[in-house]
Amino acid sequence: MATTHVSPEVHDDPDAHPDRRRTYVMIALILAALTALEVSTYYIPDLLGGKDSFAITALLLFLMAVKFFMVVYFFMHLKYDKKFLTVAFYSGLFLAVAVYVAVLAAFRFWGPPGSHMVRGQGQP
Amino acid sequence: MASTTAPISSADVYDVPDEDVVHGGHGYATNTGISNTKLGMWLFLASECLLFGGLITTYLLYKRPLPGTGVGPQELFDIPFTSVSSFILLMSSLTMVLAVSAIEADDHSRFRIWISATALLGALFISGQVYEFTSFVHEGMGYTLNRSSSAFYTLTGFHGVHVTFGIVMLMSVLFLSFRGHLSKNKSETVEVVGLYWHFVDVVWILIFAIVYLIP
Repeated sequence: MATTHVSPEVHDDPDAHPDRRRTYVMIALILAALTALEVSTYYIPDLLGGKDSFAITALLLFLMAVKFFMVVYFFMHLKYDKKFLTVAFYSGLFLAVAVYVAVLAAFRFWGPPGSHMVRGQGQP
Repeated sequence: MASTTAPISSADVYDVPDEDVVHGGHGYATNTGISNTKLGMWLFLASECLLFGGLITTYLLYKRPLPGTGVGPQELFDIPFTSVSSFILLMSSLTMVLAVSAIEADDHSRFRIWISATALLGALFISGQVYEFTSFVHEGMGYTLNRSSSAFYTLTGFHGVHVTFGIVMLMSVLFLSFRGHLSKNKSETVEVVGLYWHFVDVVWILIFAIVYLIP
């Protein structure tokens, strides 16, 4: 009785690089829309309580984070790659965030302007 | 007396993205199953987070110039112009990922179009940055005018240098493709260059929001 042998390389090849072009275009369109939303806060700040409001800062930080993770997950393939790469990259990212949040806290960046260790405008 | 020790080739010691080592595109003969080149690039990018984190933090601390030391960058920003620049760099990430897709499909003509488009968009972004810097200098904000200007030029200048290096890498893989040195099983070279390019883009996503848009 004849047996059919399928080489694993031949069987695996079509899955090796799936065509994700449609996904990439969709992600790019979403990124463009989010950028437009970011820029709109510059032109119509009154919708969110004025130029210096906390809502605008929070919205911009949120949009920035969404765009950042979309590029990293989809365009940089972290979503599809081995988890070890995610751990390697986020180790550096979270270390950087922790170190520099600590630096900003040490300089009292989030306190009232008079308490900043680094002197600002209007201070002696 | 003849030696019984077998010679060790470089492929036994180092990870080489070759048909002998790559198993159907799914794994590499390394402890992690990831090619050393790609892992090295990811670790490099992780370290770059610390570099740009330091530069962004310095800018945040010095964003307002001391009284009597001249204008700060926030008074000179041209948000519509920078928005267009940001959009250009964002779209270059799309063309880059399409270039990677094309080389993985062994479609060199499509790869050359997308990689050239990426380099062109990157060059447009750099031209915009040169124009912005020139107009700021004409407005009287030189590099050493005050602490704000120094922090701003250092941060955005470092990013610009990264984009420029990225363009050089893009042109290099385009050259390799024209010389016939970029076969399908070497597509990881393009992917690694793409990782660098996307990272440069995500750094600009942070700079655009934190430096330009947040009051």
